[in-house]
Amino acid sequence: MTVTRAHESPGRLTWQAFRRNPLGPSAVAVLLLMGVVALCAPLIADYPSGYGEQVLAPPGGGHWFGTDDLGRDVFAQVVWGTRVSIVVGLAASALAIVAGVVVGVAAAYFRRADAALGVVVDLSLSLPVLPLMILVAALAGPSVPTLVVVIAAFSWPEVARVVRSQGLAVVPMPYVSASHALGGSHLWIIRRHVLPGVAPVVAVSVVLTTSRAVLAEAGLSFLGLGDPDSWSWGTILHNAQRSGSLATAWWTTLFPSLAILLLVVSATLVAVAYNDASDPRTR
Amino acid sequence: MRRTLLALAGIASVTLAACSPGNPDSGSSASGGGAGRLTIGTTADVVNYNPLLGNSRTDTWVTNLMYPRLMSMDLEGKRTPYLATRWEYADGGRTAKVTLRDDFTWSDGTKVTADDVIFTIDAVAKEKIGIVAGLIPSYTGATAVSPTEIEFHLSQPDGTFLENVGFWMPVVPKHVFEKAPSVQKFANDANWVSAGPYKLESAERGQRYVLKRVDSYPLVEGGKPAVEEVVFRVFPDVNTEALALRNGEIDLIANVVPPALAKTLDGNDKIKTVKVPSLGWAHMQYNTQRKPLDRLEVRQALAAAVDYEAIRRVALQGSAVTSNSSVLTPTLKQWQDTSAKEYTYDTARAKQLLTGAGYRDGDGDGLFDGLSFRMIFDQADPNIAKWAQLVRDSAKQAGVDIKLEGLERNTYVAKYQERDYDIYAGSWAIMDNPPANLALAFKCKGFINYANACDPELDKLIDQARAQLDQADQKPLIQQAAKMISDKVYDNVLYVEEFTIAHSAQWSNFLVQPSELLSIVNPQSLAQAKKG
Repeated sequence: MTVTRAHESPGRLTWQAFRRNPLGPSAVAVLLLMGVVALCAPLIADYPSGYGEQVLAPPGGGHWFGTDDLGRDVFAQVVWGTRVSIVVGLAASALAIVAGVVVGVAAAYFRRADAALGVVVDLSLSLPVLPLMILVAALAGPSVPTLVVVIAAFSWPEVARVVRSQGLAVVPMPYVSASHALGGSHLWIIRRHVLPGVAPVVAVSVVLTTSRAVLAEAGLSFLGLGDPDSWSWGTILHNAQRSGSLATAWWTTLFPSLAILLLVVSATLVAVAYNDASDPRTR
Repeated sequence: MRRTLLALAGIASVTLAACSPGNPDSGSSASGGGAGRLTIGTTADVVNYNPLLGNSRTDTWVTNLMYPRLMSMDLEGKRTPYLATRWEYADGGRTAKVTLRDDFTWSDGTKVTADDVIFTIDAVAKEKIGIVAGLIPSYTGATAVSPTEIEFHLSQPDGTFLENVGFWMPVVPKHVFEKAPSVQKFANDANWVSAGPYKLESAERGQRYVLKRVDSYPLVEGGKPAVEEVVFRVFPDVNTEALALRNGEIDLIANVVPPALAKTLDGNDKIKTVKVPSLGWAHMQYNTQRKPLDRLEVRQALAAAVDYEAIRRVALQGSAVTSNSSVLTPTLKQWQDTSAKEYTYDTARAKQLLTGAGYRDGDGDGLFDGLSFRMIFDQADPNIAKWAQLVRDSAKQAGVDIKLEGLERNTYVAKYQERDYDIYAGSWAIMDNPPANLALAFKCKGFINYANACDPELDKLIDQARAQLDQADQKPLIQQAAKMISDKVYDNVLYVEEFTIAHSAQWSNFLVQPSELLSIVNPQSLAQAKKG
């Protein structure tokens, strides 16, 4: 549709296409805002601790998002929850991405390892993820590092699979064969040619895996496997469910759920918009 | 759909009644406006139909309606007659005599006699079944003097025997249970035989348990329960139970309603709430076998860093009373020591005690160095999970770091059985007989000694109390023991809960008994409950 300007780099073209789609930049803005909230939590609200006299007060002047069953401000909980939710999401996704890329690239590049690694990935993908996560988190005891490791341990296979399929398209390229002919080492070829080749799918994976990790964290925390010493969106939901105020005090569940929804939708939109923008056919 | 079915059933019963004029009962129940069924919500299935094995709440609620106990209990935990009418010690405490009612019958027509009681206690003692076995170490045998008179023989004078057997042991029908090779392994999951007030007719896992009234239940006016059918329905959690009660799908929630939810139900004029005193208490126990909790000053400092008043007022929404830091709670009036005093919440004093014990805040982070404790609790318990956060936050102000470990139930049980914690937060459901309970909870290597306390002086006091046959003689010794437990902070009793039970305002005439196991779901209560 648009006139392709041959003299511009693909990166620049992608960026221009990305900016033209209003959904992409606005989703990025939401994510950035959440990042700012997470970083500046102490400036926005006091850490929710102790107790307050107004128990289960509905949203109003003093408490924008109302109070929970110990009279603590739900707004402060959502703000501080942003921090833990995002940290867990990013850390888990970083671990998953590293593991996934290593396995995916290895499978695509070393053809002999492909069958074995493929079986491992397929096996991991076919596991009942949620029950296993619950089991491991329950046995290891609730804490933020446990959550990160558990979520990462069950998220990497999807990354590995996506990276492998992209890598399979890159490895047979003439310039890779040429590098072989010139005597380049495996590591050098992977670093110089294969990794840049799979970078776009990795970028999309980072966003999607993070949002999925945030969801998984919320799910595990909601089931009571979160860290009781820190606030996350799932923990707020769990408290509401446990105290029996789920059906009566809608504000204890609505706001953390909205936060989760906002983050997941934004992350998905960013990924979709980026994907469309980087593909010359949909640009 | 449900309503249509009920309406159809109504038409059918009217038609049937018209066809059988000889049966006066069916006519009266139809005009009673459907008072024939009481539907009760619970959050768990029945796991053991054998009443001697059951230990979950739902197990107890259901089997209590079929298997009588020798004694029941009034609101203050005092034993009242049930199957037994009289009980006493003789022979210097080596014999315990019990007289039974003569008008109890099993639903298959066989009389309930002394033989059933003796069969049950022999099976419990021989096969070491459940909690009762641990409560009757002195039992050696029993003789049936007549069908209604029993003499239990004891190896040593034991002033706790009658109360323990009387309240804790359900009596099972000998002629049914003796057919099984082992009473402990007898599942009892079909063809139930009950001594009332109700008898299980059908059970659908995850759905419902239907009980029909028995023909004769002498403890209720008219000799027959007022309600024809009691149905237990299984729900995922108390939130959904509350919704079902609001919608009129169920008439009663057997589970305790958490304080926050109770508040919202209070305002509903279709629902009534009942306050039920607890026979237990909620507490924290400090693992005295771990350093530095073996030091009294550290335990005292921790006890001074708890805002007891806030826990009761905010976390429990006022549905709890103080026990004055004593294991003799105000529910058990005949044991209570009115001179007991609660630990004072004073973070400055806590800091002072710790400084005096040699602790310093070297890195200036507001916390004493090297004082970090792991506190475990069951994360599914709504009250404990709430006050655990208050305990952590107030301890922080006293410079003590408490790390919360809210655990999934099975992990929690495994950890406390291995005593793998610094601080244990939990609650006792029923501590109805202090001499017996304190022995389990505080003697060296006691089965539920979660403080890992081992104090020869305390053990001696408890043993002396147990050997007394009269409550009046046990009381001063037990009060002394309780004072020692409080002074040495072997147990930090936070409060005694007042449970809230909710039922539909259409129902009345329930009988309240203490603890969540009895509450208004006890046999007597369900036998006399009325609609309208």
